[in-house]
Amino acid sequence: MEAMSSGKLIALKDFFLELRLYKTGVIGLVILIVYVLIAIFAPIIAPVSPNETELADSYAFPEWFSIFPGYRNMPRNVFICVGYDDWLIKNSDENVFVNEDGESVVIVAQCNDEVAVKSVTLEYQFKYTYDPPKRFSGRIPFEVTIYNATGSYVRIRCFITTPKGRTYELYDSMSIAYNLTKLETPASYDARDIYLKLKLGFSPHDDLGEKILDEKGTYKLKLVVSLLTVKGNGQVRVRLGVKEFRVYGKLYGVLGTDNLGCDIFSNLVYGTRVSLLVGVLASVISVSVGLIIGIIAGYKGGVIDQILMYFTDTLLFTPILPLIIAISVFIGKSLYLEIALIALFSWMGFARNTRAYVMSIRDSMYVESAKAVGASDMYIIFRHILPQLTPIIYITLVMRVPGAILLEATLSFLNLGDPSVPSWGRMLYSARYAGAFFRFMWWWIIPPGLAITFLALAFVMLGHALDEILNPKLRVRR
Amino acid sequence: MSTGSSGLLRYMGRRAIDRAAVIISSLTLQFLLLRVLPYYVLGIDPSFFFLNPNLTEEQREIIRQQFGLDEPLSSQFVKYVLSLLTGQLGFSFYTRRPVYVELMERLPNTVLLLGTSTVLTIVLGLIIGIIAVSKRGTRFDASVIGSSIFISAFPLFYIGLLLLLTFGFYLKWFPIAGSVSRPPPRDPVKYVADLLWHMALPLTALLIASVGGFALFIRNLFLTQLGEDYVVTARAKGLTEREVMLKHVLRNVLAPVITILALEFPGIISGAVITETVFSWYGVGRWLFDAAMQFDYPVVQAVLFIQVVLTVVSLYIADIVIAILDPRVRLR
Repeated sequence: MEAMSSGKLIALKDFFLELRLYKTGVIGLVILIVYVLIAIFAPIIAPVSPNETELADSYAFPEWFSIFPGYRNMPRNVFICVGYDDWLIKNSDENVFVNEDGESVVIVAQCNDEVAVKSVTLEYQFKYTYDPPKRFSGRIPFEVTIYNATGSYVRIRCFITTPKGRTYELYDSMSIAYNLTKLETPASYDARDIYLKLKLGFSPHDDLGEKILDEKGTYKLKLVVSLLTVKGNGQVRVRLGVKEFRVYGKLYGVLGTDNLGCDIFSNLVYGTRVSLLVGVLASVISVSVGLIIGIIAGYKGGVIDQILMYFTDTLLFTPILPLIIAISVFIGKSLYLEIALIALFSWMGFARNTRAYVMSIRDSMYVESAKAVGASDMYIIFRHILPQLTPIIYITLVMRVPGAILLEATLSFLNLGDPSVPSWGRMLYSARYAGAFFRFMWWWIIPPGLAITFLALAFVMLGHALDEILNPKLRVRR
Repeated sequence: MSTGSSGLLRYMGRRAIDRAAVIISSLTLQFLLLRVLPYYVLGIDPSFFFLNPNLTEEQREIIRQQFGLDEPLSSQFVKYVLSLLTGQLGFSFYTRRPVYVELMERLPNTVLLLGTSTVLTIVLGLIIGIIAVSKRGTRFDASVIGSSIFISAFPLFYIGLLLLLTFGFYLKWFPIAGSVSRPPPRDPVKYVADLLWHMALPLTALLIASVGGFALFIRNLFLTQLGEDYVVTARAKGLTEREVMLKHVLRNVLAPVITILALEFPGIISGAVITETVFSWYGVGRWLFDAAMQFDYPVVQAVLFIQVVLTVVSLYIADIVIAILDPRVRLR
């Protein structure tokens, strides 16, 4: 047993020594190893999850574009969190108490013997020095609690003031006269909101970011909390969580963002996994099916052979791509269905080759003598036939992968892939249908295709090298 | 001589039965995969996309009856096979027009695009392949091998996208979609010119994708013959390399070449799904894809059926041609 395994080790070592002689094989192997490493370490290499949206403005440029003069001042992502310590608090009323609770601000208004409107103003200043962005948004988590003071209400408004002094009201909670919690799902405003645009007197087609953040300098964010208290000794309490304000940048990551604001580079990295998985799995399944059918047909012969070959021919004559398209539309989009379909429609050629090989081995003298000694069919198949088939099994395993990878990419490009899995084909699909071409976003279109090509090429090169090493007949031909 | 022709007839007859059986079994497979598997096994009901959701259960049942979906599977299958075999392709679910009429609208475009590309592929592939094998070992040969392997790793749709990006969007030399301008030019000469202008990019994509592979196939096919005795004899006679290749080797490798050509032929009718979709070419391939996306069963079934029949028929013709050219085949 031990001798056998060490013998195998030596064979493996010989194999790699020989592979070194074939430059294409080495290049293919190196590319393949790089891809496998990328697939394994995808979570480390990719800066963010591929499905995370709104990381920056949609259609953002790659960050390294900032070395070009035209892009130097492009808006970047600005993300501001304003907690208790950051606010400049202006409190004008002695019956109102502003306290700190962790990061949040707690405003308590004590009722007294008259109906009064009190207000607290929180101010925050930030610098914005880039070009006007297209979009900004903000979130205001708050909680209103009214104790024993029915009829009181609270109104929270948010303003932004430009360096030149123009002031816009971004958010208005209107009167809140009941207990309300908006801590988990904060109140928010967004520059894409058409009502907000209309309220501020802009056209629905304007980008608020370009209209409001069009100056460079210090902007003021202001939260105005107005509290109306009724008579009595009740209490109105407002808790303001950490206010977020963000500007969506036009420069992001290694390869920018797509139409949903997802990171293109992360999608590219994670796409490696799908392509490798589909390619290898489909190839293994298709070779196994082809091998089993080929061996049975070739070894048994007769009626079984005819039936199996008839079935093989049927599949060979069936138009594969249209049928796969129709099936995946009719049944649904799933990764494993895709793999199964690719494998199901690609084993026929290998089955036919195997059958021919097996037939020639079956009629040889040593198989006849093994039979004469009384060897079982299984013994002959595993002892005499399979070992002779191993070279073509290895070669076919490798050579089938590129076809499966290309087919998977094609199906995903036609939007028939699994929508929950990032894949290169689907990236090209969304590039095509989300307007990457009109925007000349070559950094979105070129990389996925090249990734597919080089992965397929790696397998092709490795396959050719294997072919020459394991198929001595070919060497004579040269 | 008489035994020869009767042998050929018997061979043709046997082949015809085989091929007809393959058509039937391929139809069975399509029926199983497209009609039985989704609805009867997985419970996916395509009528969900067509019927008004406000219909009552009885109204649904009536509609199902009109389509013959209440009958047992066996009789549905018999009807399906019989109507396809008798050429009744039915009506499209979407346009409510006969599938045949719709097919005829798109056929000229597809035949034009795919016919041109197939002919050019064969001609260019033969020329490049034969030159490569005559100059085997040279830099030309190596670059033919290298570039065709490299191109084989490109997905066809990606080649199309790159062409679109460079020549359609950046340089604006060619239109980005469609098969003819809207409105089409009145003048016939201008019309043809317009059509060719629209055809340039899809045709280039198809040629890039297929010429290299075909040339490599031809090269390797010729290479298998070069060690044969008849080649040595021909060379010994003092024939030029060109004569050896065209008069002797080409004849001996004709069988696989004819088979490959026969496999190409059905594509001329059924179109190229990918290329036509990428370039929005108004042809059969894109029609099939759109129909599949819309659950338009009659169209999908019809196009798949046409493609299977054409494949079988053209391979059958190829078999006969090969049998006539090479009498040894008949004996197998």
